[in-house]
Amino acid sequence: MDDWNYKPAGDLGLSHDEAFKSLKRESGLIATALHWIWWSFVRAYLVLWHRLKVEGRENLPKVPPFVLVANHSSHLDALVLAAPLDLRLRDQIFPIAAGDVFFTNPAISAFAALMLNALPMWRKNCGPHALAELKRRLIEEPCCYILFPEGQRSRTGEMLPFKAGLGMMLAGTNVPIVPCYLDGCFQALRPETHWPVRHPITIRIGRPLTFADAPNRREGWEQVANELQAAVKALRTE
Amino acid sequence: MSPYERLFSPAHAFEHPVTVWLTVALGVALTVSPLVLLTLGRRIAETRRQRLWSRWRSWLVLTLLLVGPILLGAAWTIVAICVLSLLCYREYARATGLFREKAISLTIVVGILLITFATMDNWYRLFMALTPLTITLILTVALFADRPQGYIQRTALGVLGFVLFGHGLGHLGHLANDVNFRPLILMVLVAAEMNVVFSYFVGRTLGHVPLCPNTSPKVTVAGVLGGLVLTTMLVMLLGTSVFRGTELANWHHLIVLGILISVVGQLGALIFASIKRDLGIKDFDVTIPGHGGLLDRFDRIVPMAAVVFHYVNYFVGVGAGQQVRIWTTFG
Repeated sequence: MDDWNYKPAGDLGLSHDEAFKSLKRESGLIATALHWIWWSFVRAYLVLWHRLKVEGRENLPKVPPFVLVANHSSHLDALVLAAPLDLRLRDQIFPIAAGDVFFTNPAISAFAALMLNALPMWRKNCGPHALAELKRRLIEEPCCYILFPEGQRSRTGEMLPFKAGLGMMLAGTNVPIVPCYLDGCFQALRPETHWPVRHPITIRIGRPLTFADAPNRREGWEQVANELQAAVKALRTE
Repeated sequence: MSPYERLFSPAHAFEHPVTVWLTVALGVALTVSPLVLLTLGRRIAETRRQRLWSRWRSWLVLTLLLVGPILLGAAWTIVAICVLSLLCYREYARATGLFREKAISLTIVVGILLITFATMDNWYRLFMALTPLTITLILTVALFADRPQGYIQRTALGVLGFVLFGHGLGHLGHLANDVNFRPLILMVLVAAEMNVVFSYFVGRTLGHVPLCPNTSPKVTVAGVLGGLVLTTMLVMLLGTSVFRGTELANWHHLIVLGILISVVGQLGALIFASIKRDLGIKDFDVTIPGHGGLLDRFDRIVPMAAVVFHYVNYFVGVGAGQQVRIWTTFG
């Protein structure tokens, strides 16, 4: 008789604080319930307060793995980008958030992990090991990431150049990457303000791209970043 | 004593001498231990000292969380055991990977909550009926995924989890339906933990022959036998008072109860050691600093609870004379 295969939780043996920051964190029943409550609330809020409009919903893949990338100019962006996704996928959707903003204070860290289901990206020392772990999880689990390749919020509303780190994770894979453009988030919650104002928000979702042929080295990473940037920019003018 | 007094009133907390003895003994142990550590000071290595302090802090919190509800009343005891069952199931599910099966996990949580309700209501028939019913429900909800690959593994892990932490630990909660629940539950908990201490010290002093080296290399034959003899003596000492005036106060019954507590407790430790070895993990979690997970600390009690319950129930009757179906009898 063959042995059964067991797979303990990826964050087994970590304290709560360590688990919140871990890229191997997995959701239990309580986290799942919190995700459902939080995302249902966010969806209702965006529709009622910001009159959220989704264009190109048919371009969203039905099953993981896939990655959503978009322009980044507001703290609302990750919420808006995740809103049109199927609630049943909630535990598999991970916004990739700045570690130094969302995972240094224990309370904010708990909120980011338990409500948003965010995973940290440590911008100043994000080594290849962390990107390799994210890539492994994306493909093997499989799951969905919400990524902002600009690496920071734009302070003017204008798009910043996409960083090549995204390419390090996705070059040479068949994972569909969905370019999206977020229109209205900057006006709804500007970087210098703390509370959102009532302003309509629209997401334009483009056709998924794959980069199976892109070489997994510097030029391939830049190709991924450039093509995605062009795809997002094209959605802005549609 | 009315059922509401038993459930909610701490007025009778120190009515029984065994409750007083054990509460005082635990208080003294927790007060003296840090004094000993302070006296020993730098005569013990820094890492060892840190570990001992960490263990003492953990024991302090655990004792308050366990003894507090028992003294407050049966309802608080039942709720505390429900929380313990849920947390133990959480550790088991995360260790085995069963937590990814949300429908099965939810069914088990609901089953544990219903077991708690049946216990709180002193509705023994429902309590016993919930185990086969929950198992059937686990087997049913696992069908909804329409994923036959791994069906046996998923459902078997779910059934085992419910039987161990819902049904098994639920018996400890059901002991709270006895009018004498405070000394009885305290005796079981203290005997289980003292069995660990007795086995450890006898094993370290006299133990050379491991009992089952692949499962738990530190468990020795001498440790187990020493734990058996000393725990049985402790149960006889306490049981004489706990069961005074009943058939179980006879010395031969107390010897059997002591042996059952020791043997089943030791088996509980070996059962969970086997589960950990099979999974390739050292501890179930890091919930209790210095101890590991809750399951690393309460492994002996999980199978022991049902054995003690049925032994006492057979000869004396747990909850004899107490109103049944307290909340669900209308008119």
